[in-house]
Formats: sequence, structure tokens, C-alpha cells
Amino acid sequence: MGNEEKTPQATPKRATRSSSSSLATSPNPSIHPQTPPSLPDHLLFPQPPISLSQLLSNLPGRKPQILDIVRLIGPRNSPMLPLLLYGRASTGKTSTVLQVFRHLNRPFVYASCRSCHSPRILFETVLNQLLLYNRNKRDGYSSTKRCERPSEFVDLLRDALRKLGSKETSMIYLVFDNVELIRGWIRSSGIISLLFRLFDILKIPELGLIYVSSATPDAYYSMTGSIEPNSVYFPDYTADDLHSIFMRNQENPKLYSSFLSVVLKPFVRVTRRVDELATAFEPLFRKYCEPLTDLKLVPDEIMKRRLFVYLQPHLAASLNETFSIPLKDSFEANKEGVSTKTGSIRKKCGGKDASAELDFHMSVSAKYLLLSAFLASRNPATLDAALFDSTGGSSSRKRKRKSSQTSIDNMDDKAEEMLIKGPGSFPLERLLAIFQCITSLSEDALEEEQIGDGVTTINGRISLMSDALLQLSTLCNANFLHKSGSCPLEGSGRYRSTVDEDLAFKVARSINFPLSKYMYRR
Amino acid sequence: MAAEKSLALFRSRLCDTRFVHSAFKSSPESNYSKLKFLISTSISEGCNNSVLLLGPRGSGKAAVVDLVLEDLKMEHPDAISVIRLNGLLHSDDNSALKEIARQLCLENQLLFSKMASSDDNSQFMIDMLRECGLAHKGVIFVLDEFDLFTQGKQRLLYSLLDALQTLTSQAVVIGDADQLLEKRVRSRFSHRKILFIPPPAEDIQRLIEHLLYLPRESSFSPKYVSEFNSRLSNIFSDKKFKEILNSLLDVDGTISNLLRFLFRAVSCIDMDSGFLSLENFKSAHLCTQRQPKIDALQGASILELYILVCMERLEFKEKNSYNFTSIMKEYKAIHDAYKTSDNYANMVCLRAFEHLLDRELISFTDSKGWNQPIEFRPVKLLISAHELYHGLKSNSACPAILQKLFDHESYK
Repeated sequence: MGNEEKTPQATPKRATRSSSSSLATSPNPSIHPQTPPSLPDHLLFPQPPISLSQLLSNLPGRKPQILDIVRLIGPRNSPMLPLLLYGRASTGKTSTVLQVFRHLNRPFVYASCRSCHSPRILFETVLNQLLLYNRNKRDGYSSTKRCERPSEFVDLLRDALRKLGSKETSMIYLVFDNVELIRGWIRSSGIISLLFRLFDILKIPELGLIYVSSATPDAYYSMTGSIEPNSVYFPDYTADDLHSIFMRNQENPKLYSSFLSVVLKPFVRVTRRVDELATAFEPLFRKYCEPLTDLKLVPDEIMKRRLFVYLQPHLAASLNETFSIPLKDSFEANKEGVSTKTGSIRKKCGGKDASAELDFHMSVSAKYLLLSAFLASRNPATLDAALFDSTGGSSSRKRKRKSSQTSIDNMDDKAEEMLIKGPGSFPLERLLAIFQCITSLSEDALEEEQIGDGVTTINGRISLMSDALLQLSTLCNANFLHKSGSCPLEGSGRYRSTVDEDLAFKVARSINFPLSKYMYRR
Repeated sequence: MAAEKSLALFRSRLCDTRFVHSAFKSSPESNYSKLKFLISTSISEGCNNSVLLLGPRGSGKAAVVDLVLEDLKMEHPDAISVIRLNGLLHSDDNSALKEIARQLCLENQLLFSKMASSDDNSQFMIDMLRECGLAHKGVIFVLDEFDLFTQGKQRLLYSLLDALQTLTSQAVVIGDADQLLEKRVRSRFSHRKILFIPPPAEDIQRLIEHLLYLPRESSFSPKYVSEFNSRLSNIFSDKKFKEILNSLLDVDGTISNLLRFLFRAVSCIDMDSGFLSLENFKSAHLCTQRQPKIDALQGASILELYILVCMERLEFKEKNSYNFTSIMKEYKAIHDAYKTSDNYANMVCLRAFEHLLDRELISFTDSKGWNQPIEFRPVKLLISAHELYHGLKSNSACPAILQKLFDHESYK
């Protein structure tokens, strides 16, 4: 049925496909000239080629690697042994390889194993590109040929290359990106062996193979074939390289370089990845420029000093964050009306705890449920009766006796164990019991307080049992709770809380819940 | 100009395995000759034969087979047809039969129907073999990656070898592996083996000369050719070159390793003068000698080094299993003791921990984990203390305190 081969459309028609899928009555005349352009040209990099010096300046710090790659790929129409580029994430491998092809102006096919996450998609993507087939809506986005098994892929690849190769004898290059992800697929060893042995199996000298991977070559030793690829290593950027990378395309280079001289050194101690540093530097630079009225001016020494002093408290705060992209500042204005109490976003503040507030929505009952889960995971079950007595208040008879040395050692050991084992699991009934206790306690507390910030009060009882169960599944989906396997003898399933202490304290603070009173302290 | 031409020539030579192995064509002792003799006798005398080619990866088994078959095809144009199967691609019985049928069709200009079932295919194969036998045409089956065929029930091998035994056709099966055959299959397999071992030193020398000397009758100017060749022979007789070559071959003596090395050296050819120099070979050798773990340590940030040192200390204290929270405890203890400036929050350390996992310097000990959060899964180091020590020393940004901590531990 739909599985037969589709012949690829001839190239002049490609121009009209987009117009034919819209409601135009007559197809527009094709923009391309009458004779179809030679097929490999469509596989060139879409932008005009650049010179070697421009290539080197686009990618600072990568000169030896670029020269190596260019030499190994070699002159036009000369065959090459397969090439493996490896290096940590965010070291510029993909962009280097693509820019090199832009410079060399040779036809290539690019397939990333991140977006082509199964063998079939990978094979079909490569074949589609080779046969210049664009997926479109009319055919339901299907590929030109259906290809699932490696044997089909090899045959179809051979045919496609023969078709292309008959026009000219230029080389076509296949670039496979993120090859290390294939190890996580099913039947991965077969696919990896196939990819690395393509050179052997096909024996087509017009094909050049390039693999890009974040894992080192020893991860593939058992799986590569008889022709092991030549490898080029991409080391991490040094501090100078990072400086030149960040200086590119800056409007006010002098200002930015004074900013970098302040900021780069401490951050490089934590991480050297360009993407993380970029997300951290952006808000800091905005902060740095705040006192300046004119962004174009070149700062002199005095000004640099002052800006540094202004920035310094924020530096320490920013160093302790996790380089995630913060939410927009305008969020604070939208805190209305809903019956949920929203936590405020990460406020700009000086000095210590920059992220003392939560930065996501959560309804009050969900927060209480989260705290109950946290307590249930942290405290041993036997302590519940003591901590939560019927009036809901915490018991005051915590530690009357002075602990002897052995009991201190015991408690230390238990603390060690708890560190290793992680949070314990608890049945659903215990969770709900704790929930009832703390919400009944807080109900009283809430009614005493004056809530005057425009948020609607929570009237009456916090929640019914069904409401709590609904929130439970939400929390599970958000990975705050984890459902362990249930034993049929015990009844309902057991849960485990995956929230860490910091987050729990943040949540508790946002609803004014005295969490530390209830924690089992060693 | 001459440089580019010679570069192109070398590259195409090195990438073409047939050319590489044709160096050994002439010698009578070589595997090439043995194989050729075997096949040609079996064809001319009409007997069934199967031969197994054994050898490590990269020793050129497939290349020699190709060479032999090509030559035989030229000598006896109509008497042979070749069917190639690859264990990697056709490990499944059905697909293998389909592939056999397809190739048979291709050879004999018949139309191939994709929808034929495997029974049809096997019947077809038997019929074809019988026909070929009547026409005195030999069929040669080349099975690459033989060890992958021997997984499962080996039904294909059995039926293939069975068919060969019972029919009056000549077929030669060339396989590529070792002792994995079942008894019934092995009994039908005539035990002829050809061993491919890495070639000894003089052969290597001959091979390199064969690959890298420019031929005199080519389109290069004769002055350039003689200059090039004389320089090259100077390099070959140089002691340093011999050392490089020996160390390369000690690690991996197969031909493909040599080819890779030569390819890299050739690609560094000096474009202005057009001559190869010892420097090219040296730099190529350096490239083959990377140590990925030490490289990874050089690129690690200081926080990541802290975490590694903490893990090393924990291992030294002989904790059987430890996880991120215990590492954090150790980290805080170090900071309390030494009051360093590198005290970071938990989340930042967790991020650095994840980076280390990505780089594969550490890994989890439980493979699937019971969906525990990342802080509690037990981890272990994947580098030895020795490597860590060298990594710390070579990392220029490493603070002295880390080295001090480390020294304190292992050399106590």
C-alpha cells in the first residue's frame, strides 16, 4: 500500500511544491533554470563559503583542530579514511565540522543521532537527503523509501550514491553527529558496528565518513570494525579561548572586556562549558551595566573599580546558582486572583541566599502534601506518634536525657546510613495521616494571621481527601514523589519523596510552616 | 602542483585496500597465493571446498579475498559467480536467504521478487546451484563476519553446507571466524584454515615502500620522483623512524593500524616542497598516542577536581559504597579544615558531578537504579589514583591544596 517506493521528485518541481500545497490555482513558474542543477550542489552548506582565515577567526581556540580536519579531509576528489571527532559536550565539535564544510564548499549529508533517535529514522534521514527528497504534508511526511534494517540501508545507500556519482566523481561526505547516544538504543552494538564499518562494507571511495561523538574512542573499541577511524580530539577551552569567544560580536568591546576580567576567573573555577558560562554571564552583564547611563562609553580605571564594587555581591550569589536560565522579571506583576498562592521568583538581592524563594507555582494543599511526604521519608515511622499528637502540636519532650557516647555513635551510624540509603518509603495511609495532622494545625495558624496581599484566603478546611489524592498524582508526575512497587499483601503502594532539604525548606518558608520542628534531627 | 598530485595519489592508494594487499601478491608463501590456489583447484576439479580465514581485525582477510576473486574473474570469466553475505547485515536467516536469492538473480539477469518467502528462496537457491553445477559454473559464497552467523541456531549455515554436500555443484565457502560452529555444521565443513597473522618486519618495510614510493613511469617529472624517493629512503633508514614504527606495531601490528598511521602522516605533507619528512611521521605518531582520561582531567574545572579528590579519599578510607551526599560531606569537611575559597552550594556541585558522569570519569555502580534521585545512587571512580595524580599535576589551574590533599592520602 503506502510502502512502495516513491520516486523522488525531479528538481525543477521542488520550487513549485510549496505553492501547490497552498491554494494557488496555477503553479508558479519554477524559479530554477530549466536544466536541473547538478545534484550534489543541493547538499552544500546553504550559505556562501568563507575563507580559511575567516573560519579560524569564527572559531577561536580551535585552530589546530580545524587544520587537522582540513588536512585529513584532503583535497577535492580524494578519498579519505573515516574520521572521528571527539571531545566533551559544548566544545564546538558540531559547529566546527559544519563551518569546515562551509569553507571547503563540498556536498555533505548531516544526520544527528539525537534527533534521529531510532535506526529507521537515521537511515531514512540520510537517504532522504541523498535523494533530495523533502517530506511534505501531502504524503503524510513519509520518507522516500522505507528502510528499517541495516541490510536495506546498505543497499539503498549504494544505489543512491551510484545515482549521484554518475554525474561527477566528487566526494560526498556523511556526517553522523552524537554517535555516543546510539549506545543507549536497543540493538545498539549492531548499529554502531554497522556505522563504523560502513567504509569497509560499502567500499565506495567517493564516500567520506565523519563521526562526531562526546565519548572517547575507547568507548567504541569493542564495536569498531577493521578500519578504525582517525580521531581528532577537541580539548576544552582554556581561559584565554573563553575570553576570545565571549568577546566576539560585542557592541562595546572595552566595556565587555573589563566585565570579563572581573567575572571570568571565578567562574572558570566552577565550570568551563561555554553554554553554562553564557547563561550565567548574561544577567550579570546587565547588572554590570546598570549604573552606566551611556552604554557606549569606554570605562577608565576609576569607573572600572566602581563597577566592580557594584557587581561583587551579585557575583558571589551567582556563583552559587546552577546556571539555569531564570524566568522573566515581569512575572512578579502577574500574581493575581487565582486561589493558589504563587511563590515569588528568584529576586535580585545582594549577599546570601539568592534563591530563598520558590520559582514555580504550587497550590497550598500541594505544598502541604509535599511537606508531609518529605517528613514521612525522613522520619522513621515510630516517631510519628511522638511528633504529631492529637492536637497537632509538636511534642515538647524531645530530648530529655543526655545521650551517652554509644547512643551518639549509634545516631551517627544511622545518619551515615540515611545518607547512603536515601529517603525511605512510606505507605499511602501514613502520608495522609501526617497530612491531616499538619493541615489541621496550620488551619488554626492561618486563621489567626492577617492575609492582606490580595490573595484570596483559603476558607474552611484545607482540602478533602479526594483533593489530596488528586494532588498526589500531580506530585508524582512532577517527580517530587516516586511510587515504588506495591506489595500485594500490604495493600496500597508505597511512595518515596525525592525532594531535597533545600527545596522542602523553601516550600515550608513560603507557607510559614515550622518544618525544622518536625524533622528527626540526629 | 606536484605536491597535490602526489598527495592525491597516496591517499587513494592508502584508502584502497586492494592496492595495499597487492604488495604481497608475488610471494608464493603468502595467504593470497594459498587462497588462490585453493579456489582455482576447486573450480577446475569440480569439488566442494570450504575454507576458513582466521585472523585479527584489520589483517586484510576481506581484502585478500577480493583480490583473489578479482583475479580469478579475469582469468576465468564465466566460470564463477560470487555471492557475498555479511554477518552484520544478514544475520537473520530469512534476510540471508533473500539476499542470496537476490544476488543470484542479479548475476544471471533474472527478475527478483521481494515478496518471495524464505521457503521459495531456499528452493530457488538449490535449483540455481543445481543449474550451475550442470553448467560447470562454480559458485563461491563469501561469508563475512562469520561469527555473527554462528549465533542462534545456525540454520542457515547448515542448510547451505548441506546443499553443497548433496548437490553436484562446486561451491567454495569462505568464512571468517573460529570455533563457534555446531557439530553438524562442522562436520560438513572441510577443515581448511588459513591464518592471517600480522606480517613480520621485513614485510612491513616492503609494504611501506610499495605504498609510498612514487612510480617512475607516472606523470610526475622524473627529477621530482627521484628526489622524493631518495628522501624517503633516507627517512626509512633513519633510526628514529624505525623506533616510531616499532612502537606503533608493538601496540597493534595489524595492517590497518599501519595504514591509519601512514594516512595521517601523508596528510601532513608539506605542500610547498612536496616532500615527506620525518616530522610528518612523528606528528602522526603523537596523534595515535592520546590518553583520553588524562586529557579529560586536563579539561576538568577546579570544582570537578575537588569532587574527584573527595571520591578518592573516600575510596582510600575503604568505604564500600558512597554516593553524592557522602561526597558532599567530605567536601564540606575539607573546607572546614582548610578554609579554602572554593566553597560552593550543593546544586552547583551536583551540576559538576553530572559533568563528571558525562565525561565518564565516574559512573554509577548500579546499572539501572531503582529510580532513585541522583544524589543517593552509589558511584565509583573510573580512573585510578595514579591517573588522577598525573591529571592533577598536569592541570595548570589546579590549586596546590588539592595536590597536598592527594599526596597526604596515598603516600601516607
